[in-house]
Amino acid sequence: MLVNDVVCPFCGCLCDDLELEVEADRVVRVLNGCSLAEATFMNDTRLPAPIRRTSTAWEKISYDEAIKETADILKDADRPLLYGWSSTHGDTQSVGVHIAELIGAVIDNTSTVCHGPSILAIQEVGHPGCTLGQVKNRADVIIYWGCNPIEAHPRHMSRYTTFATGFFVPDAQRERTIIVVDTRRNDSGGIADEFVQIEPGGDYAVLSALRALVRGKESVIPKKVAGISKEQLIRIAGICKNAKFGAIFFGLGLTMSRGKYKNVRNAIELTDELNRHTKFVISPMRGHGNVYGSNEVFTWMTGYPFAVDFARGIAFYNPGETTAVDILRRGECDAALIVASDPGANFPRVAAAHLAKIPTVLIDPHVNATTSLSRIHIPCTAAGIDAAGTAYRMDGVPIRLKKVIERGYPDDAEILKKIYDCLNGWMIP
Amino acid sequence: MRVILESKVRKKPTIPIEAESIIPRNFLKGTDLMVYEGNKERTLSELFWIFVEGTAVSPENIEVVLKGDASRIKRVGEYMDTGSILITGDIGMHCGNFMSGGTIEILGNADAWLGREMRGGMILCRGNAGHYCATGYRGEKKGMQGGKVEVLGNAGDFCAEYLAGGEVHVHGSTGDFPGVEMRGGRLTIGRDATRPCANMKDGTCVVLGNVHEMIPTFEKIDRRVLPEWKIIADVYKGDVANRGKGTLMVKIPGAA
Repeated sequence: MLVNDVVCPFCGCLCDDLELEVEADRVVRVLNGCSLAEATFMNDTRLPAPIRRTSTAWEKISYDEAIKETADILKDADRPLLYGWSSTHGDTQSVGVHIAELIGAVIDNTSTVCHGPSILAIQEVGHPGCTLGQVKNRADVIIYWGCNPIEAHPRHMSRYTTFATGFFVPDAQRERTIIVVDTRRNDSGGIADEFVQIEPGGDYAVLSALRALVRGKESVIPKKVAGISKEQLIRIAGICKNAKFGAIFFGLGLTMSRGKYKNVRNAIELTDELNRHTKFVISPMRGHGNVYGSNEVFTWMTGYPFAVDFARGIAFYNPGETTAVDILRRGECDAALIVASDPGANFPRVAAAHLAKIPTVLIDPHVNATTSLSRIHIPCTAAGIDAAGTAYRMDGVPIRLKKVIERGYPDDAEILKKIYDCLNGWMIP
Repeated sequence: MRVILESKVRKKPTIPIEAESIIPRNFLKGTDLMVYEGNKERTLSELFWIFVEGTAVSPENIEVVLKGDASRIKRVGEYMDTGSILITGDIGMHCGNFMSGGTIEILGNADAWLGREMRGGMILCRGNAGHYCATGYRGEKKGMQGGKVEVLGNAGDFCAEYLAGGEVHVHGSTGDFPGVEMRGGRLTIGRDATRPCANMKDGTCVVLGNVHEMIPTFEKIDRRVLPEWKIIADVYKGDVANRGKGTLMVKIPGAA
């Protein structure tokens, strides 16, 4: 059977034009998708049933048993941590926030190790952004700063920028100028009109210099800034000022290198400065399929986009203090629930080591590095494959994920609702 | 009056305690105060041995002494307006938040956000201070607005971010971005600083050691003798990228 207009739930692009060939409970062919989409739908090997760690091995347990034990672990904790939420749909995230409020937990999503600094910068100076459709139809200057879309968001260039035909940019490849800024010449740098090789950690200085140049303060700038010649900087400032519509996309090269949110803030203020001359926008290249959605859900329920601490019954937010990595690094939390993510593979060693010390429960369709740190692993549906739900694209557009096959797993929102009920004393399975 | 609080040994010593009730004024009516340990509310006596010496009729005569391990106790001295607090060891985050008067002395190290959004009074830290010493809250346009923070050791990253008034003096070195987004007040760094005063709007910063990675958008306008420090310093205006009118003075190496 052929299913049309399928949304790929893997990365923040949420491409919604995939065609899948489905046989019973399996996807056998992916059309229009990138290699990441193909792997997402075709290499979907799940954990068959919930498992619990014994002293020497793993044992299979029932869903009810797993849910009850999870509730027991969370109920007794003095500082539980609920982390993940970015590869599942909005309903699950919303139940997660309810659990956090009920038990006085800290709830955090994967922004904490990805675009959290972008959010901090936006909270300081705002976000001059737009949807990807605007970029596709209008932008004639595109800047990719500290990101490698060819490998991380493979269809970003063909759907929205370099290779996409837009209403006001009919001959995209010739009419769009692509600038790539990175510490090394990556694949995306190979197709750039202007490649800017920056010294590691030099982003802030270069952004400051560009801001001064856009203001016409050439005399202040030294001959070289972070390995980039003054001539090249003047050329880039010129390209930006003469653009009809410019768009900056930035990745973890900016948010997770030295300076963090100050780098992003500087990039936003450069965008702001350029808007005195032409139209310019800036957007983060979000990683996980629904990480933007977790920020949305957290914000409308608690007022804050990530790192929300409910220990006192009310929401408190202070990245650096209430973020998952910091709480784990300081050894604060005494129980953890990980949903739809893999901190075991992405967190610093000391943080992952603390996860292994405390009772950790993982709710995720697949076996991953966090499984080996956990006490219990409960498998569930994967949003966008065998569960429907809402996800937010990297530009903040909500898109409905489709259920394309049935594999007989319970939805992670259902599992969390049962955990919530157990904690609330309503139902003992 | 002196109130001595000695922290008890806890079963889970890494769970943070939030103790904004520990300010001198609150001890005028007794020691029956509440604090939070993780997500559980506790009485002060559950977590501390409490000793009270003498009596007081007004809060300015009350001294609170914190003994034992206080490195996980947050928000001590929050909204303090008078009296004094002495911490004999290390102190946790947010010590002296929103403080408007009185004095806090820390004999050990202070964790992050020491003197956050401070309005007045004095904090003396004899050890090192963590990140965000004398700054503001996330997204807030003004950080510290008055009073004085003195750190005899080093300070971490983002020291005096959004400084809007008052005085910050770090005798040692600071980490990355001291005085970033500064818009007033006075910051003095006794030794080295990395990328000082980025994006500053106003205010004055003096660096008596070396500056690593000077921000390229500062305009050198003068070379001046600073009698207060007995040094010759280069004077910069900036941040040009931000239309700033701040002053950054950096000691010329070798010049006495």
